[in-house]
Amino acid sequence: MRKNNTIATTVVILFGILLFAVGTDGFTAFTAETARTNDLLEAQPQFPEVTLEDSKERVYPISDFEGNYLFITFMYTSCEDVCPELEMNMLQVYKQLPEEYIGEDITFLSISFDPERDDPETLTKYRGYFESDGETWRMARIPDQAELDALLEEFGVIVIPDDHGNFTHNSAFYLVDPDGYLIDVMDYTQPDAAADRVNSILDQEVGG
Amino acid sequence: MTQVIAGLVFYLFLMLPPVVELLESIMIIHMHMQMPLLVVAGFLMAPLFQKKFPSFFAKYNMNGIPGILLFMIIMFFWNIPRAMDEALTIPLVEIFKFISLPFLAGVPLRDSWNKLTTKWKNGTLLMFLIVYTGTGILYIASPVQLCNNYLVKEQITLGWGFITVAAAILIYLIQLFFVNPSDYE
Repeated sequence: MRKNNTIATTVVILFGILLFAVGTDGFTAFTAETARTNDLLEAQPQFPEVTLEDSKERVYPISDFEGNYLFITFMYTSCEDVCPELEMNMLQVYKQLPEEYIGEDITFLSISFDPERDDPETLTKYRGYFESDGETWRMARIPDQAELDALLEEFGVIVIPDDHGNFTHNSAFYLVDPDGYLIDVMDYTQPDAAADRVNSILDQEVGG
Repeated sequence: MTQVIAGLVFYLFLMLPPVVELLESIMIIHMHMQMPLLVVAGFLMAPLFQKKFPSFFAKYNMNGIPGILLFMIIMFFWNIPRAMDEALTIPLVEIFKFISLPFLAGVPLRDSWNKLTTKWKNGTLLMFLIVYTGTGILYIASPVQLCNNYLVKEQITLGWGFITVAAAILIYLIQLFFVNPSDYE
């Protein structure tokens, strides 16, 4: 009798370990966000075709950046908490890259997911806060909501509007390669690590 | 038998799409109401299984330890932010939630609790105290959004829900040192 009980205990514990292992991809992803990032890195989705309108009122397709690396963040200008930090950290990365790469091999792009309020004028004002020049670091909106949704879906950006005109959203640095494929998703709270990573990729690709 | 029927009706009620939607729309209600209610449904239905398979429970859950471990594993699994998120986005995970909580947590809890020694009972409560305090702090202090389907604000509310349950357990455990229940029987 005791033996059966011990067997049952062992089975239960093994089941528990298995359940937690399967549920967290082998103890690597305890949040859906981590799982999402891991999946993205594996899938390396291609940037869907979208049309941007930037702070200088220029309208162009994303494919204009082909041949260039893109360093991307998703934000909206009315955001009070995460976005300013996200953009400040993006500036840190921008400053840490050698000048010869900026605009030549890599372009910085902040994409707003609030196209209704973030018109070129608003974006221009916002751009000023972060020393973005509007050329090598552009801020743009995607006026077509369907295109925007497709991009957010493809890159796993989750945006939940609340009742007060704000959005809850996940944030990260996204790196797209010259062929338009997403190659890295980086922690936006670690700008130094992100800068090192981008630097080494550029050194390898461009320098080497 | 009334209990079993009540449990079954209650279980079916919890499965009604509008009820599911309502309970899952708010994070803390999803975690601290829908999930425990599913356990309660299983708890009520337990006698059905105990009567059908008495030897199974006597044999494999003799001292109640396997059952209570299974109960804790299922309960703590559903505390993982990802599990809750995926219950909303992946139908298979949602189905697993509706099966695991009543039948792998509610049923074994009922079969185990009276078999357990006082030490194990209090140990179980202590375990919940530790895990709920930890999880509560995690949900409150996390600078990032843990569940993609819920707002950070809701996450903090949920964290305080965990802390409240933990506080209640703590008070219960502390009073054990001062109050001897048999004095009042």
